[in-house]
Amino acid sequence: MEANNTTDKNISWLKSGWWLILLVAAGIAAPYVISEFYLLILGEALIMSLFALSFNLLFGHMGQLPFGQAAFYGLGGYGIAMLMTKFQINFWLSFLAGIGLAALAGLIIGIFCVRLRGIYFSILTLAFGQLIFVIIYKWHDFTGGDDGIQGVFPPEFLKTPIAYYYFVLLVFCIAAFILWRITNSPFGYILKAMRENSERTEFLGIPIARYQLTAFVISAAFAGLAGALWAPFYRSVAPSTLMWIKSGEPVMATILGGAGLFFGPVLGTFIITFFHAYILGFTHFWAIIMGTLILIVIFFLPGGILGFIKEKIDNRKKTDQ
Amino acid sequence: MILETKKLVKEFGKLLATNNVSFSVNQGDIHAIIGPNGAGKSTFFNLITGYHLPDSGKVFFKGKEITKLPSYRRCRLGITRSFQITSIYPKLTVYESILMALLSRQRVTLNLFSSAEKYFREEVWSILEDVGLADQAHVNGDSISHGDKKRLELAVTLGTKPELLLLDEPTCGMSPEETESIMAMIKNLVDKKGLTILFTEHDMGVVFGIARRISVLHQGSMIADGTPEEVRASEEVQKVYLGGAA
Amino acid sequence: MSFDVLFNQFLSGIARGALLFLVASGLSLTFGVLRVLNFAHGSLYMLGAFLSYSIWKWLLIPVYGFYVATLLSALVIAGIGLLIEYTILRRLYARGWPEQLLATYALILIITDIVKWFWGGEFLSIPRPEPFTKAVFLFGFPFPSYNFFIIILGLVLVFFLWWLVYKTRLGDIIRAAAHDRDMVSALGIPIPWLFTSIFVLGAFIAGLSGAVTAPYGAIALGMDIEIIVECFAVVVIGGMGSLPGTLLGSFIVGQVYSFGIMYKPELALAFIFMVMAIVLVIRPWGIFGRPER
Repeated sequence: MEANNTTDKNISWLKSGWWLILLVAAGIAAPYVISEFYLLILGEALIMSLFALSFNLLFGHMGQLPFGQAAFYGLGGYGIAMLMTKFQINFWLSFLAGIGLAALAGLIIGIFCVRLRGIYFSILTLAFGQLIFVIIYKWHDFTGGDDGIQGVFPPEFLKTPIAYYYFVLLVFCIAAFILWRITNSPFGYILKAMRENSERTEFLGIPIARYQLTAFVISAAFAGLAGALWAPFYRSVAPSTLMWIKSGEPVMATILGGAGLFFGPVLGTFIITFFHAYILGFTHFWAIIMGTLILIVIFFLPGGILGFIKEKIDNRKKTDQ
Repeated sequence: MILETKKLVKEFGKLLATNNVSFSVNQGDIHAIIGPNGAGKSTFFNLITGYHLPDSGKVFFKGKEITKLPSYRRCRLGITRSFQITSIYPKLTVYESILMALLSRQRVTLNLFSSAEKYFREEVWSILEDVGLADQAHVNGDSISHGDKKRLELAVTLGTKPELLLLDEPTCGMSPEETESIMAMIKNLVDKKGLTILFTEHDMGVVFGIARRISVLHQGSMIADGTPEEVRASEEVQKVYLGGAA
Repeated sequence: MSFDVLFNQFLSGIARGALLFLVASGLSLTFGVLRVLNFAHGSLYMLGAFLSYSIWKWLLIPVYGFYVATLLSALVIAGIGLLIEYTILRRLYARGWPEQLLATYALILIITDIVKWFWGGEFLSIPRPEPFTKAVFLFGFPFPSYNFFIIILGLVLVFFLWWLVYKTRLGDIIRAAAHDRDMVSALGIPIPWLFTSIFVLGAFIAGLSGAVTAPYGAIALGMDIEIIVECFAVVVIGGMGSLPGTLLGSFIVGQVYSFGIMYKPELALAFIFMVMAIVLVIRPWGIFGRPER
């Protein structure tokens, strides 16, 4: 029984390993297969997937639902955009500084938020996210306010859509791999333990708040990374990247794809992004369709799409045995 | 003397839950705290584990004052507890739950990049054998029987390598056979690993069967403290348990 | 700065606080009993505002049409609340709160598009109704008398809710439910019925407050998001699910906003969130909130 279980695990890991290699290969081949329009959508989907993965580190793995992730995403974007356009600092330094800015904000906000649980945590992260949004939105002289910041260009060799796409793909793969390692590390296991029973975990000798804060900062940094990728991709940033509606996007994507699995948020984001791009060709009433879709998933696919598929596979295995 | 409290006081509003309690636990003892419902056993436990902080008084562990330390720091010093209402990880396997305890005890939990599965295989299996859960290692915590959950709870506390183990009603809700087997297991652990155990229990058969020392709480005060024979002979204890108390 | 300027600002703050209380009290009441944070509460408020405009236009009663329209739209929103509770929320009580939150979030998206569909994206407004059309002069400053209407309505709602929660049998159940849901079940009160009525009441209040906002500011897309975020600040400061907390939170946020605008208009909202952060450092569960372990 035990032996059986471990080999089972090995096989599924191998399987998913092959899937990953195939997917990465598809990602590399994509610019030669699909049109430039869909290549841009693909780049966007990768960036938003990274954003969703940063969210799910806290939600799926640690069991806290942050509703202010857009603030860190936006800070990453504003960090790189402002340093490049206002202070003429080079792309790579600005890129790193954007991530650092998001992580720093995550540290400050996290100190307040990790003391709370459940819905209180969500609402507090939302409020702090809005605070950052309001400051940037209203501070017109410094941040450009409503207009945002234009003219955020990547370095010369990344200027073509294909080159920047490969840059995004590379960063995404590295970041996703790091996040995957984190979730399977002892630290990741402790996050899981806090999700399952934080009181019990405290009595194992774990200072809950400090671990949650560490995870919060990591999550903010990865959200910032996604934002810092986005600004040069779009050549600009706007305050809407910081708004709480933006914070809702990774939540939707994660629930759609499945929060319990590492790649659930990625699948959800891809579906939403491509569906969005496709449907905008027909109608402006995208939100109503999205809203209905969310309700359908909540009612009929409680574990998200990947969760549903996994359940089916597990059931089939059981009947086979 | 591994644990000592001096004049501990805890009030909840007007209710005096712990009233000036001073007592001590000897190294290697099996020490029971008994008392009628509402006597303040749980509160007293919570003061020792740091779940509540006392209004006044002091707690010492191995001669070091720990009155104000947070729970996790006490745990690192070697004080671990189980919960009356079984507190396990419902969606983690039995194996993973014990691994959690070992990971946190060995302080490798801030390691962000190595694989957790590589750690402590032997230790986990040895604890699984100790508590008799090896055959259910890969079953989720919420799908094992009530008695096994209690064993799991104990296994998780053992994973933190405690010196002082506080058990809150370890046989609560168990059948007589299960109770007997778990108490035998506890006794075995004390002998084998040199643990000290402080426990609360409502089943007097269990208490007098295993405890080497008994303290009696009544309305927040400690009214008796001694060997089972001394406690059995105490008039005050008899008054409380026979309902004659004022 | 002279006293009269300060007083004028204070009074504006009270009016703003009253409006916030109108909206936030429904949010807080729903949360207190159902333990569902209704993200779409602001959307019901927005829908109430648009609906009252259309009803008002259709009625063609120049002077008192506003009051009729307000009442009617509040009733319609209550009906929509019934529909939402019955078809969506009811199926989710057994599930985790993240799904409940996301479901109400989905409702925001849906309602936003419905409003866009029926009313387009323009700004609409209703003239102030009699007898609140003129400004009154206080210490020589003009003060819109309609603000008094809002303040009075806020006070009426305070007393109504106080009476409901502390003086009626339903109130006993509400307080018991906020404290311990199992106990209410054990008392033999059918929870679904209780939840439905509270949600409908919350929706009614949302619709009502949306309708009375119409002559106070403009009716526009996005007013839902604007108000709901401020309401979150209100309930976080006051303590979620607490009626006195909501009242105090509304007062604080109203004042901070009003004086913030005087000091530095562009940062008025930021001040609100800063106050919120300070309150939470001292009391993480809000001023009247109870910690949940």
